[in-house]
Amino acid sequence: MKKNLLIRLTSLGLAVVTAMGMTACNGGGSTGGAGSAGNEEYSKPESIKMTFDTCMTFENGLQDVCDEYQNKTGIKLELEKPDHNKYYEKITLAFASGTPSDVIEMGSTYYPENANNGALWDMTNAWETTEAPAKAIIDASYVDALKIDGVLYGFPTVAGNGTVTYVRQDWLDSMGIKMPETYDEFIEMLRAFKGRGSGTIPLTAAGLLNNGETPYDIYLREFYQDAIPDFYQKEDGTWVDGFSEPAMEQALTRLHDAFAEGLIDGEIVTNKTSTCRDKVNAGLVGCFNYWAGMWCAKLEDATTGTDPNAKFAAMPIIKEAGHYTERVPTALVITNNCANPRGVFEDLIMYSHDGGEGQMLFTHGVLDKHYVDNGDGTCTALPYYEDPTKLCEKSFYAPELSISEWNDPIALDPRVEESLKVFRDNRTFASVPVVSDVISENLSNLNVVKGEVAANVLHGNISVQEGMEKYNKDAGKYVEAILADLNS
Amino acid sequence: MATNTDAIIVKKPPLGIRMYKYRYFYLMAIPVVVLLLLFFYWPMLGIRFAFSTYKLKHITSGQGPDYSTGIGNFQKLFTDRFFTDSFRNTVILSFWNLVFATVFTVVVALLINELQHEWGKKFVQTVLYLPHFLSWVVVASIFTLLLSAGADATGADTSTVGFINAVFLKLGLIDKPVSFLTETSTWRPAWYIIQRWKETGWGTIIYLAALSGISPDLYEAAEIDGAGRMKQTWYITLPSLMNTILIVFILNLAKILNVFESVFVLYNDLVLSVSDVIQTYTYRKGIQGNDYGYATAIGLFKSVISLFLVTGADYVAKRIRGYGIV
Repeated sequence: MKKNLLIRLTSLGLAVVTAMGMTACNGGGSTGGAGSAGNEEYSKPESIKMTFDTCMTFENGLQDVCDEYQNKTGIKLELEKPDHNKYYEKITLAFASGTPSDVIEMGSTYYPENANNGALWDMTNAWETTEAPAKAIIDASYVDALKIDGVLYGFPTVAGNGTVTYVRQDWLDSMGIKMPETYDEFIEMLRAFKGRGSGTIPLTAAGLLNNGETPYDIYLREFYQDAIPDFYQKEDGTWVDGFSEPAMEQALTRLHDAFAEGLIDGEIVTNKTSTCRDKVNAGLVGCFNYWAGMWCAKLEDATTGTDPNAKFAAMPIIKEAGHYTERVPTALVITNNCANPRGVFEDLIMYSHDGGEGQMLFTHGVLDKHYVDNGDGTCTALPYYEDPTKLCEKSFYAPELSISEWNDPIALDPRVEESLKVFRDNRTFASVPVVSDVISENLSNLNVVKGEVAANVLHGNISVQEGMEKYNKDAGKYVEAILADLNS
Repeated sequence: MATNTDAIIVKKPPLGIRMYKYRYFYLMAIPVVVLLLLFFYWPMLGIRFAFSTYKLKHITSGQGPDYSTGIGNFQKLFTDRFFTDSFRNTVILSFWNLVFATVFTVVVALLINELQHEWGKKFVQTVLYLPHFLSWVVVASIFTLLLSAGADATGADTSTVGFINAVFLKLGLIDKPVSFLTETSTWRPAWYIIQRWKETGWGTIIYLAALSGISPDLYEAAEIDGAGRMKQTWYITLPSLMNTILIVFILNLAKILNVFESVFVLYNDLVLSVSDVIQTYTYRKGIQGNDYGYATAIGLFKSVISLFLVTGADYVAKRIRGYGIV
């Protein structure tokens, strides 16, 4: 009898555990706050679920920033920070499963795609009608840069920024070379760097086409020059494929020639940005095209660990290349999943650019945890929790790339300001990539062909002409379909 | 009088009675059945998307999949050069990997089994198992460094080449660095070697377990008959292991088309023609291109091929050895 009872109880227990498990699987957290009142009126959200990539880590006190936001606004901020390498995979899967966060940080490659798919809330009216103090100090050109056919689906977190070519100024000085101004001088400089001896890498970069993210030519502007390895609209309004134009042939020729001469890192095709930085930090690299702003100081500080004399300078764009490219700003989008989008727009997005406590929180973090008030109107960044040798750079928004006119109480490193100045004096703005169903369907295969052709031409496995023939043969049908769609 | 030809017919009680009798066993089985249905069979309903156009906009707009596509995704599949290339690469990489895996793991298991010193045996086993626990990202980083041809594309400056190239150059086996992971002729061999380095040790576990089950009497008898180590291995160990080899082979055959991570972290634009596999192609289409209908069609095609491979191998095993596992 006892055995029988034991069996009964065990069976019942297992069944109950399963039922509880099923219930737990089915449960879901509530998002958003009180009911939406449309675009004109709004109520304060109770909680906001946000997914962000380029913010500080939880180990360095990100939760403290969220808690402080709740203290100041009364809104609970639930933050998700996926692994950087898997960020867009996670975002895509969240959309596919119908469970995206209320607010998501989204780069310019994915922003128009999701806008086109109808996944994002139209915030045009919210921006136009907002009475938030932020509106008076935000540089509207950055907001306009995110409009697609006049509609705003995302708000810039910071300026789009772009890359600038950093050169080892100490090497130039020691060799008596001036900063190059033309392509020939640039190549001569790389040759001089190569002549410094074994182990020197004159120029490194992470890939040839920016890993399929727009703008494709951002990293190697000196070689691409007037070539545009993407679709672009001519002055008469017609769309053309820049990759199949003569300018691209010339760009590939320049890349191939420099590579064959050993002026470009032999591992450029397999390099990741982290491997490039490692090489730079090891004091091996003479020239590296990377993000303007904070990275100038970071690269220099890291390199002085191995080479105390290391000094980096941002190179003004060479004459033939004409310009560096400022990307479309990274957007903070509100998804259609959000129950109270207007509330989120006002109490999160506008608050974070308010030029006051919100801006401070979203830029520098929490008082006495990430920075201290000096009492004279200035503040000083505190060291990171995890690494006391480094000062906190940002919580969410990079201070040097702020889109608001405000008096940041933490002064920027002069090297950061200088590199930004060089970049901004030499930049042009990229526009939001055009998307459509036809483009989405064909682009992944097309980018594979572009990558194959460019890499094989670079390595000399095929000639430039053979490369272009291969491109026309393998990519022809994708190009035709996309052009037909764009020009229809 | 009953005779021995009279059969005693035992009538089974009705199903309902039997189920009631074993009701607690059925109750205990409920969690397993529910989980099985929930996580293995319910997701299979997603197969229907293979016959639809199903992209992100169909989800966000709430309109759902467009089933007017019918078999359109499959027609597109067979005319897409990237799919046919990736299918060919998958078969080649998986076939040779399966062959190498079977041979290497059996040989290594036999060698480990021959080790007499218990401590030494455990040490070797531990060392061989360790790579299995490294993630593919880490393994790829290690081998990218080891196999690097250096930063100088001309090959003249060898100061930045990886360990393998440095050794080969020192030994005079090559006269300039070889970029093993960016040349089409060397990528596949490098991939096979990396696969074996990572997984051979782990694969020996099941064979070592089978080896420990072979009766020592057989070896004793063979020794008395004058059989040496090699003959004992050939006539006793291998035949005794054959069932296990067969089972592992057929089970691995079911996974033959599931190559993804190891390729994804090691391939690049220069070797795409020999390294792009079905799973990486599906990833580009499904995850990066948001074309879920098409990606499901590729997945379904892959599953059907795997099913044929397993049932085919099982059929061949039954014909040759008289039994299979399915």
